[in-house]
Amino acid sequence: MDDVAILESIRRQTVAVVPEIDPAEITPDRSLADLGCNSVDRADIVTAVMEELAIEVPLSEFRQGAPVGELVELLRTHA
Amino acid sequence: MHTVTVTGVGVVCAIAGDAGAFERALREGRRGVCSCPDGGPPAALLDEEVREALPVLPAGAPDALRRSAERLTRRAPLPLRAAVGVAAEAWIGAGLHIAAVPGDRVGLVVAGSNLTGRHLTDLHDRYANRPAHLPPRAALRLLDTDHVGTISQLLQIRGEGCTVGAASASGNAGLVHGARLVATGEADVCLVVGALADLSAIEERALLNVGAMAPGPVGPPFDETHGGFAYGQGAACVVLESRRSARARGAEVLAELAGWDLRLAANSLTEPDGEAEAATMTRAMSRAGVSPGDVSYVNAHGTGAPLGDAAEAEALRWVLGEAVGGAWVNSTKALTGHCLAAAGVVEAVATVVQMRGGFVHPNPGLAHPADPGLRFAPATGGVRADIGVALSNGFGFGGFNGSVVFRAPA
Repeated sequence: MDDVAILESIRRQTVAVVPEIDPAEITPDRSLADLGCNSVDRADIVTAVMEELAIEVPLSEFRQGAPVGELVELLRTHA
Repeated sequence: MHTVTVTGVGVVCAIAGDAGAFERALREGRRGVCSCPDGGPPAALLDEEVREALPVLPAGAPDALRRSAERLTRRAPLPLRAAVGVAAEAWIGAGLHIAAVPGDRVGLVVAGSNLTGRHLTDLHDRYANRPAHLPPRAALRLLDTDHVGTISQLLQIRGEGCTVGAASASGNAGLVHGARLVATGEADVCLVVGALADLSAIEERALLNVGAMAPGPVGPPFDETHGGFAYGQGAACVVLESRRSARARGAEVLAELAGWDLRLAANSLTEPDGEAEAATMTRAMSRAGVSPGDVSYVNAHGTGAPLGDAAEAEALRWVLGEAVGGAWVNSTKALTGHCLAAAGVVEAVATVVQMRGGFVHPNPGLAHPADPGLRFAPATGGVRADIGVALSNGFGFGGFNGSVVFRAPA
């Protein structure tokens, strides 16, 4: 699975959970927390991305405050 | 002890999307209970457009509150969206968005338990085979207390808060708890929210199998043709406030919550206990300092269950004695269906609305009362009535009996 597809999924699910966020602002260098997602929003987004991409990553592997680029990488290694 | 008043109300149910529409529907005696097209249990469900739009904040709601409500309830289960809507309606109706009360002087009681049955079974259906994809937010959404947390965040409530459960008497139990907080000075304002019970198929079937819910078309509460309750979707909120606080803010007092009582019948089953019901009503009236002759209106629990209707009618005749002919009796459940956990709060709003409007809503379909000894409001057309003192009952499985007494403001 390529990084672009994963980033697109993160954008879609982030906007589904927090519609106020402009998808163009969801870039690899930003963290979901920076973009205004609270802790439960972030957990919901990551889980929804896993659901969409049909992969499973233990939630303990996600680092709090990680930039979106790091999420993409982690998700790719489990794809 | 502080005098407890009502300064705001909010409601959503099968016959109305807000308190103003509720008054019109009550005056008409609009029946929200519809028979199921395939001959199954009748029910009073929310209008589909109303349901999808929840929470609907009233005109005049500040933009920030509107945005916060939207953000807090996005993709939330129906009970939470309904609760947020009625809480915001009552809050704004009470003027608390303008003449504020410090957050630590405001309490929040959510009446109802087991509110998430449908959400739980929906999630089970979808995620049982792939649990890793279960949205983490479910950990919050599956708690009844998510209602408390969410409404407290929306309205910045920092006083005492909890849920209160007493089966179908939950609404009245919530009112009693809230009234105590205000009467004792623990809070100046307390929101009491009756939460919408969104039954799962299993819970609905259990209520049918135990013989409480009507299996098919039946007559209305208190009629000879009654045969169980019709489920109603509804939520409501009452703002209780000390008279002193209401005066200090210049808030209009809609009614006084003058008396209350909540007691058990030492019984874990579904059967009503007329003696315990009578004791509860008597104590609530005694606390309010009113005698049977003062009671001009009774909002009965009256679900349509034959045993329950009979026990309540007999208890009312006993409690009111010779004054029984002077008090109008109706059952709001004939219109809204039985809103279960929320019923007591929905009916408290109905009582306050009728008291202020000077009318008693009809008992649609009540042609042949099973117990002719009460002064039932007519089947068609409400009646003008000067309601000085009103009694509202709520009884629940497991021996819960609750009564509250409202008095028109002086």
